[in-house]
Amino acid sequence: MTTKKALSMNDSTAATDAPEWGALLARVAEHDDKAAFRAIYQHFAPRIKAYAINQGFSQHAEVLVQEVMTNVWRNADKYTESLASVSTWIFTITRNQRIDLLRKLNRSRAEIVIETEDLWQIPTEDTTIFSIQNLSTEKFVQAAVDKLPEEQMIALRKVYYEGKTHEEVAEELNIPLGTVKGRLRLSLQKLRVMFEAKEI
Amino acid sequence: MSAHHPDDMSLMNYAAGSCSIPESLVIAMHLCFCHDCRQHVKNLNHLGGALLETIKPASIDDDAFETLVASLESHDHNANAEVKMNPIPAERAPCNFINPLLRYLPTSLADLPWQRQTKEISKFDLTSLINIKGFQVALQKIKAGAKVPKHTHRGLEYTVILSGGFSDELGVYHEGDFIARDATHRHSPTALQNEDCICLTVLSAPLKFTGWHRVFNPFISWR
Repeated sequence: MTTKKALSMNDSTAATDAPEWGALLARVAEHDDKAAFRAIYQHFAPRIKAYAINQGFSQHAEVLVQEVMTNVWRNADKYTESLASVSTWIFTITRNQRIDLLRKLNRSRAEIVIETEDLWQIPTEDTTIFSIQNLSTEKFVQAAVDKLPEEQMIALRKVYYEGKTHEEVAEELNIPLGTVKGRLRLSLQKLRVMFEAKEI
Repeated sequence: MSAHHPDDMSLMNYAAGSCSIPESLVIAMHLCFCHDCRQHVKNLNHLGGALLETIKPASIDDDAFETLVASLESHDHNANAEVKMNPIPAERAPCNFINPLLRYLPTSLADLPWQRQTKEISKFDLTSLINIKGFQVALQKIKAGAKVPKHTHRGLEYTVILSGGFSDELGVYHEGDFIARDATHRHSPTALQNEDCICLTVLSAPLKFTGWHRVFNPFISWR
């Protein structure tokens, strides 16, 4: 079986160097490579589940994981390395599947005709000259995030990742609403300045 | 390139997938026109990827992977092509971002069966696309140089200009511009002289005409 190979691959995620997720995904796309898929699953599934729980899914957290990973398996050939890193690509799929799942659970699916994929598009073709920069941009984004003061990062994470309203964040952190808004505004401003400095 | 954009908070909420569906429609439409915002959303998506990497992982059942693979295999056997993602239409904007309404409009903008509201203003209602209580979605066409009666909004009004442009008390807006107005704004947009203005508008509550036009208020078509 190919299991052994997959496990050793997974072990390497413990090291600081991330495995070549793009190469693994290419193996899934080209050869339906289950060992490669398992390696991707073992790294991302627990993170997708954590995201789902943070977003307030309880018993449906596993459902979201399965939906996202099914999507990754079926659409691995649509991943374009020059457009986004695998973690960004999987994040965008997770976000869209979360919205779809909510639509299904709210039974609003029948009422909302327009597809989630039309509203939150995941680019599949590399047509811009700028996209060459994407991979380095991603590392840069990570570095930029690390530079944000912790209190701003906490507020940003709660809003971005946990889908909390500003009021909820204020209550959770026991700080005034204005302070939450201020921290968010500052963090977004800083990120924009850092992003733009990088682009020029 | 457009000069009026959604603010950073809106773009972040969009990237995070936490804005409302109607709001996402106007932002997606703006992105078709605006390279800067596309770039910023791309960065904010990267932020999502970075957060996914640094999240504290949850535990997954040991057999979850095997269960998934088994279900993938049985599905792949049965209904292979059917469950694939919807194919995206070949018509693709050079910006790699497709007009989100493309698949839902019966014809091109010019040939739409516009519904005449007044001599100078017509409408193509899209509310059935996003049937969320309290939201009205429509394309609006204002004849070149025509003026929309002064109105305020009971809720929020989002506009993206698809062609032409208009001006109001607060500024001049052109193709691709994104305009968000709330109940505190009272305005009477006038289409620019040279061409008809077509906009996508999303209202979170019906318009309220002010001045003598207020007599129209009970008649505003509202699903």
